[in-house]
Amino acid sequence: MLYKVLVVDDEVPVRDLLNDLLRREDCGVSTCGSGEDALEILKKDSFDVVLLDIKLPGMSGLEVLKNIRDTDKNLPVIMITGFGYNEDLISKSKEFGCSGYIGKNMPVAQIITTFKQFAKNAKVGEEPAK
Amino acid sequence: MCPAINEAKGMLYGLLDNTGVIVIYLDISGNIIFCNKKTEKLTGLGHEDIIGANWLKVLYRGDNSIIKQDMFRAVLDECVKNKREKDFEGIILDSDRNERIISWNLTPVLTANSQVEANILIGHDITKIREAGNSAKNIDQTLKDILSSLKEYALYVTNLEGNITYFGMGSEIMLGWNKKEIVFKHADILHNNDSIENKLDFILEQVRSLGKYEKETSLITKSGDAVSVILTANKFLDSEGKHLGYIFIAKDISERRKLEYQAFQSEKLAALGLLSAGIAHEINNPLLVISGRSALLMKEKLDQKIINDLDLIGSQAERIQKMVDRILKFAQKTKPSFEPVDVNEAIEFILPFAQYSNLPDIKVEIIKDLAKDIPMVKGDMHQLQEVFLNLIINAYQSMPKGGIIKITTGSLNNLFALIQIKDTGIGIPAENLKDVFMPFYTTKNDGKGLGLSICHNIIKNHNGSIELDSQLGQGSTFTIKLPFI
Repeated sequence: MLYKVLVVDDEVPVRDLLNDLLRREDCGVSTCGSGEDALEILKKDSFDVVLLDIKLPGMSGLEVLKNIRDTDKNLPVIMITGFGYNEDLISKSKEFGCSGYIGKNMPVAQIITTFKQFAKNAKVGEEPAK
Repeated sequence: MCPAINEAKGMLYGLLDNTGVIVIYLDISGNIIFCNKKTEKLTGLGHEDIIGANWLKVLYRGDNSIIKQDMFRAVLDECVKNKREKDFEGIILDSDRNERIISWNLTPVLTANSQVEANILIGHDITKIREAGNSAKNIDQTLKDILSSLKEYALYVTNLEGNITYFGMGSEIMLGWNKKEIVFKHADILHNNDSIENKLDFILEQVRSLGKYEKETSLITKSGDAVSVILTANKFLDSEGKHLGYIFIAKDISERRKLEYQAFQSEKLAALGLLSAGIAHEINNPLLVISGRSALLMKEKLDQKIINDLDLIGSQAERIQKMVDRILKFAQKTKPSFEPVDVNEAIEFILPFAQYSNLPDIKVEIIKDLAKDIPMVKGDMHQLQEVFLNLIINAYQSMPKGGIIKITTGSLNNLFALIQIKDTGIGIPAENLKDVFMPFYTTKNDGKGLGLSICHNIIKNHNGSIELDSQLGQGSTFTIKLPFI
């Protein structure tokens, strides 16, 4: 298995797609639809990477990221968003300590390669982006 | 002495003592032989102190001004010599040492053989009259100063017929007319006749019936331009309430209007940015599922026809994604940030976008002649794209029957990037060329007239220049110069 990934996205078709895409890349995948659920799962289980949607009902993706960083400085968290390339969101995510940023507007192949790139960088022990 | 003479003498003294003027009888050397009560009262001296004393000592008591005394002495000498009376003015100090302005009359008294034997000096205290006169003069001057300081306001006055009788300094600045050339002309030439409400006749009628007129309107300058103003008109009445004419005060609000429009434009853009971000998010998610699912399916063992169709679905979905992306990029009004910009890239990026800008359904051919390897300019990518997009849309709109847009880039003396956008449209009359970059200039029915003025501002902020060359019926060419880094 390449990576054990937690996918957090409130839209079922997107969640399922990411699940299928990542499984094809030999990743182990768990999914959930809210930030609250994600934090619960992370308490019980350990993951190599979290793929975290920014726009979530209830607790936002950025809040989830902040919560994760309060207890775990090193877990790679890659933000994914339908807002595309948005400077404000990128800088906010970096400020909160994300490991990467993916726009859902990217072509599918690019999403996967970008994901693998960020996950690899984070896993080889590079400091998470500040 | 005869009682009758005594009586007459008493009457005369009484008369002299009760008069409001100074009466002094002098010998030819200026010694006082007689004075009336007014003299004593004014100087504060007793009768015995005055009689026999020299007039200068009495009138200039405590004032050491030699010049004043010399002047009086000269007057007396002249009177005696010429045997003619003389009127003159002088300031003396009264008993309280206040200055009094006296209008004097010195008349020589002649003997039977025309020798001067004495002089009669009569003085009239005109201090109060002069002060009143001075303050009237001061008020007049102050009023003039105030009126000419009101440079932001055009203030003009007409008579009852509407002919201009006063045209203030601010009016000259705002409306371009010189006082001399416009006074006595009919004020109609300043007023916009585009609607009945703006006509002078209507305004005067309002003032006559309602006592006042106040409205946001426009006035016409000498060169024929309209200035947005708040115009107030009132009756011009004299102190007795007689209606003499009309007073107009106009405040120039074109700058405020311009700012309001710009604020409106930026609010609109900000709203558009928010809206498109929301829409883009909603579109991106399903698009990702469509393209992602077709990509996954394509990896299955399927009939080639199906693979081809899936490929088509994927590529069309990506096309929509790119479009959404462009909208997002364009609508995200980020702060201007200057960085190296490749003008060719900026143009290439914006070209497809121009076609989606709600343009008339016409056949337009776009010819690109972009010079390779021209240096970068320092600029804000988004702002420069906005300029190019505006000019391209403008070119489209100037060709209702279709035509050719030629976009050329190049370098000028290795100092400037040169960008030309040329159309084969209707063109602009020569007399309007100077106005096209002015805010609110528009020939379109639905235009705000801000597009080109925004372009102009952006290029100016980039230390560049934008020029328009146009020939009626043949087309227009916009030429932009932007300094290289």
